[in-house]
Amino acid sequence: MESLLLKIGQNLFLIFAVMALAGAAVMVFARNAVHSVIGFLFAMLSVAGCYLSLGAEFMGVAQLLIYAGGIVVLFLFVVMLVELSKAREARRFQGQTPFALLLVGAGLVAFVGIFWQTIFGASATEPLTLSQNLVSHGETLGNAQMVSRGLFAEYLLPFEILSVILLVALVGAVVLAKAERV
Amino acid sequence: MPFAQSLLESLGRDLPYLYGPLFLVFAATLMIWPGDLLVGRTNKRAWSYVAFLVLAAGGAMALYAPLGQGFSGMFRVDGLTKGFQFLSVLAGLITIVLSQPQLNALREQTVEYYALILFSTAGMMLLVGATDLVSMYFSLELMALCIYVLVAYLRHQERSVEAGMKYFMLGAFSSGILLYGISLLFAATGGLTTNLAELNEKLALATPNHTLLVFAGVLMVLVGFAFKVAAVPFHMWSPDAYEGAPTPITAFMSMAPKAAALGAFVRVFGTGFHGVSGEWMLPISFLAGASMVLGNVAALRQQSLKRLLAYSSIAHVGYMLLGVMSADAQAGGQAIWLYMLTYLLMQSGAFAILIHLQGKGEGERIDDFRGLARRRPVLAFAMLVCLLSLAGIPPLVGFFSKFYLFKLAIEQGHITLTVLALLTSAVAAFYYLNVVATMYFKEAPEGELKPMGSGLALILTVTCALILVGTLFGPKLLDWTAKITLG
Repeated sequence: MESLLLKIGQNLFLIFAVMALAGAAVMVFARNAVHSVIGFLFAMLSVAGCYLSLGAEFMGVAQLLIYAGGIVVLFLFVVMLVELSKAREARRFQGQTPFALLLVGAGLVAFVGIFWQTIFGASATEPLTLSQNLVSHGETLGNAQMVSRGLFAEYLLPFEILSVILLVALVGAVVLAKAERV
Repeated sequence: MPFAQSLLESLGRDLPYLYGPLFLVFAATLMIWPGDLLVGRTNKRAWSYVAFLVLAAGGAMALYAPLGQGFSGMFRVDGLTKGFQFLSVLAGLITIVLSQPQLNALREQTVEYYALILFSTAGMMLLVGATDLVSMYFSLELMALCIYVLVAYLRHQERSVEAGMKYFMLGAFSSGILLYGISLLFAATGGLTTNLAELNEKLALATPNHTLLVFAGVLMVLVGFAFKVAAVPFHMWSPDAYEGAPTPITAFMSMAPKAAALGAFVRVFGTGFHGVSGEWMLPISFLAGASMVLGNVAALRQQSLKRLLAYSSIAHVGYMLLGVMSADAQAGGQAIWLYMLTYLLMQSGAFAILIHLQGKGEGERIDDFRGLARRRPVLAFAMLVCLLSLAGIPPLVGFFSKFYLFKLAIEQGHITLTVLALLTSAVAAFYYLNVVATMYFKEAPEGELKPMGSGLALILTVTCALILVGTLFGPKLLDWTAKITLG
């Protein structure tokens, strides 16, 4: 019993990752939009679990607050406000399904092969992990501080570009949805 | 507070590199609010003048930016950056002038339209200077997101909305592929760096079991870029998006994002993946060859001039990929820059005439050009100059830019592809000349043409004059390009 618990503790990341994939699958395949959102919520919670199991508490909590708290609620609002029955009736792309499945299968095989060779290949000398100095950095500085250094020092420019992207998304939504133009 | 202090110091040091794009972003934001409140409902067309001045000022700031590298290796200003920034700004300026008559005719003038063009141009200016995969990715997204909205701008027209939707879906999908490729490369180099120069060193040292990972990563980044520049077989979105978008935006899409994406393409593959060029040389040569063949052959059958220009722009991207394949990134960048500059002039001239004939956005079929030579000899002659130059017929300037590109490709040993490029150029000449024949040898339909607006006439005069002047100085063009892009 104890050894089982120990095993679970060691493989928390994998467990959460599988849960996240399951949630994402529910989200994609569910016929009902509310079920989709719940699948999404489940996936986001599991990703937060992934972060926590990697020792990134700040990211995990932020994930919980922003995705599970904010964005899922927003999605639920949209699902309730927008009539979705029409979208369900229109069945498109039926003829393409076999080709799509074939392509997905081929892609799956290719990527499994790539990762297999990378991790277990004949010449695999070191496991595929984050570099040591990234990991040790986190211990000395603490989590939130690490994130802030990343955002405001090293990745300042992408961070600022991202803020402009959000502004543009806002403006674009208004442009496409506004009722009247002069 | 040593951390905050060092942050402030490095910000003060690095900020001058970005004055141009930052100015555009700030000015565009201020135009939307509070600018739009101050301008009355009837004065909306004034925004095109404001946007033109802002963009010109931003471009000038970028041209006078100091040379160097900053933001912890994320952004670099050198000759190539400035050259491609200049192209993006030029394409943006031309688009603003082209937009005015059609938006007036459709009564769709808004400040947001021009602000989105400014945001997009800022994204391009950041993109061509990005020396890190992360900053490159975000700049690419900023550039593309604005264009998705602009394509769907005429939301009362079904085909505009459809085009925007299609472009958005495929664009988002391709961004996902690009991002996944970047993450694979990040993993393959041990999760240490996304900086292009460091990545190049690390990729060369990657252990043997990482080779497949590197290959997959490079290939996916290539696919992401091929989507953005619409190279075959990732071109499916482009004819529909080009046809559905408002015509000035079609002109914009065929010039500015392509210039910026190709600039980034050369930088990423020329510096970042230079050491592993064996991995991507074959795929990219297939992309180039397929783009040349399919772009030109598909353009033969088009009835709509907009679609014809869309397919021919796919072919032109195929030619420019020859420059990306050059082992010498600087020379490749120069040849692409010159090609893009001349392409931009010819394309904007052709679009100015197309927009004039379109009026409210209908007549865009090649048939609508029937007998233009008799109704408007000057206009027909201008179109003739643009089309012949697009076809690369000597001695027009389009010939020289093609010549330098092909010469570089032969020097780099891509003989087969160059022969293919020459053969497909002959096909291209056929459909361009078909339009010319329609203009000169077919009976004109009834009805009078409106006089051309001053903005369109200005663009047309300037581009034609530049094409003809460039023709005179053709042999010297490459030397000048070298001077500009070396900084």
